[in-house]
Amino acid sequence: MSGDNTIWDKMGSIDYRYVYAITIVLILIPVIRPLGIPMKTTKITVDYFNAIDNLPAGSIVAVSMGGGMGTLDELESAFLATWRVLFQRDLKVVFYSTTADGPIILDYHFKEKVKPENYGKEYGVDYVRLGYNPLGEPGEASFALSIRSVYSTDYQGTPLDDIPLMQNIDSHEDIDLLIYIYTACTSVEIVVRQWIVPYNQPSVGITLGCCGPMASPYYPGQLLSFLSGSGPGAELEIVGNVPGPGALINDAKNLGIIGLLIFLVLGNASYWGKRLTGG
Amino acid sequence: MALPFWDLLGLWVAAFFSFSVLSFLWKDNLYYKFGQQFVVGVVVAHNILTSMQAVYNNGVVPIMTKGQITLIVPILVGILAYTRLSRDISWASKYPVAIMIGVGTGSMVVGTLRGQIIGQVSMAITDVFKSSAPMDMLNGLIIFVGTVASLTFFVFTREHRGALGGSAKLGRIFLMISLGANWAAETVWYLTQMTGRVMFLYNEWLLKGILGG
Amino acid sequence: MSEFVRRELPLVLIFICGIAVLVPFFFPHPFLNAVKAELGNWAVIIRNVTIFLGLIYMSFSQWRSLQRDKSMGGYIYFVAPYLALVLFVGTALAFPGYINSAQYQWLYQNVYRAQVSMYVSLPLFYCYSAAYRAFTVRSIEAFALMLGGMLYTLRQIPLFTYLFPVLLPIGEWIMLVPNVGGGRGATIAVGLAAIVVGLRTLAGREVTTIEVR
Repeated sequence: MSGDNTIWDKMGSIDYRYVYAITIVLILIPVIRPLGIPMKTTKITVDYFNAIDNLPAGSIVAVSMGGGMGTLDELESAFLATWRVLFQRDLKVVFYSTTADGPIILDYHFKEKVKPENYGKEYGVDYVRLGYNPLGEPGEASFALSIRSVYSTDYQGTPLDDIPLMQNIDSHEDIDLLIYIYTACTSVEIVVRQWIVPYNQPSVGITLGCCGPMASPYYPGQLLSFLSGSGPGAELEIVGNVPGPGALINDAKNLGIIGLLIFLVLGNASYWGKRLTGG
Repeated sequence: MALPFWDLLGLWVAAFFSFSVLSFLWKDNLYYKFGQQFVVGVVVAHNILTSMQAVYNNGVVPIMTKGQITLIVPILVGILAYTRLSRDISWASKYPVAIMIGVGTGSMVVGTLRGQIIGQVSMAITDVFKSSAPMDMLNGLIIFVGTVASLTFFVFTREHRGALGGSAKLGRIFLMISLGANWAAETVWYLTQMTGRVMFLYNEWLLKGILGG
Repeated sequence: MSEFVRRELPLVLIFICGIAVLVPFFFPHPFLNAVKAELGNWAVIIRNVTIFLGLIYMSFSQWRSLQRDKSMGGYIYFVAPYLALVLFVGTALAFPGYINSAQYQWLYQNVYRAQVSMYVSLPLFYCYSAAYRAFTVRSIEAFALMLGGMLYTLRQIPLFTYLFPVLLPIGEWIMLVPNVGGGRGATIAVGLAAIVVGLRTLAGREVTTIEVR
């Protein structure tokens, strides 16, 4: 039939599997041969870094670890850069996990990637890990009021009262900065509702790239700043001078997006070509 | 240099499950289904293990060490949830749900009012005047117009005609830009994830695991 | 058992728990704060005690699948999650450290992370297919969607910000101005709806939330 023979029809009927194959090839090329294209930094990332860097020595930072293993490729650069920036400074850090993967990610990072002892940090004195507790919003509210209401021990089972760092820390009043990590986009509302609104808690966020636009309305009036995805994670590596995996993974996604552009153009060209030629 | 046995085995196991997912791109098949069901089991197992640990740390330990016997109540009420498996006594499973809904709703209401409504409305207005630079004021004005216009889009009690119709259409455009940005961010997120997986399969599995590089 | 205990008492419980958590926002008395913190902990414990319901419902679903397909593939589909369950729970209980043991983490990294990361990245291909098939510019709203999406996408790719430096400030402007305008309106609208549903729930007018089928 004549409807299948025009160039516009051919443009619009490419087999999906060619689409997938071209995508994989475009992603593979910079993995095999990195392009080495430099990145630029943005004000949001600089604000995030400053929120940590401007803390006085001895400040307490609480890290709500809500990351997942499945999103580690996207968030690992932001995590590692943040841990390095925190451990490089004279800050006390309390990690607590709100996802089941959180303790495993922290174990993996602190044993293999960013070892706190390399920065002169001692467990129980400079940092502590409280382990996993599926707090949800009510639990987060309880945590802000009284840490001991939802955590009685650290992740190894040591009572909190026996840990030197936790002697004088029990609520939002003792926390100078909250780093809230989340992968469900609407969770930004939890930190706004349970930390920022009731207590005016200085807070920054780490989240997926797709959650950045949803977090934007809260910046900078409520949320001091946020990192959304691997791009800002790599930017933090530059701003904080803490090299990590971000540069490599951002370099490797340079060509993959070209596939999207090609198919967008082909799809629109096919549609408009058929429409304008009466096909 | 040859990798230790467990590291090498780990690479092959990871590659096996990675390719099981990728095989779906060709067509649905048994390899994919096995991997899919296996990870369902992994998720269930991990959640059971971590939940039991949370019950122990949050409930049992405070009861035994601090004498907080009130914590027996949520443990018993939580067990009531299993009554939903029986039609005769399933009404009892409403109680744990009621506590969770009550606590969750109470936690949410005031924060939503102050943070999401009052906070966002005040920021929409103050953003116009927070800086005297003309570009900042213009941006603040655009945000204000966008906020009002997109709010009028959600007014469903009147037909979108006349001024309301024009405002709702403008609001729809702002919402479309916002949705476009969300979609774009999501696509780049998937791209980053796929890039990470391809990097793992190439650098770790192929180069180190197979070629020993 | 009376209708009051079956139907009305859970709604009363929602109200009591909700108010107990709400009041400290307005009257931050130490006793009220302690009650709020305790109720939050109760909600966490209840959530965790009910975890086995997930396993039970998963088993029901697996059984129904097996009844539909009793071929070799059907049996593999049925057995796979239980295989994973036994492997992971067994590993956690067999080795010291529970889920923090090196053995459990090896399994988790190489099975769970590999597979779930790949699942998360799979929609990339569907996004590309969608861009090919569905994202045609047919109206001003579609154009706004495309413009916002493309400018914000390209802003995140180093190659394009290197070749066209103006993309970076434009992409940032898209996210921080029109996106905030649209997003703020949506946030306020969602917040209003959440307040209404929340207050109806506390007042016992939203019974669907605790209905048991």
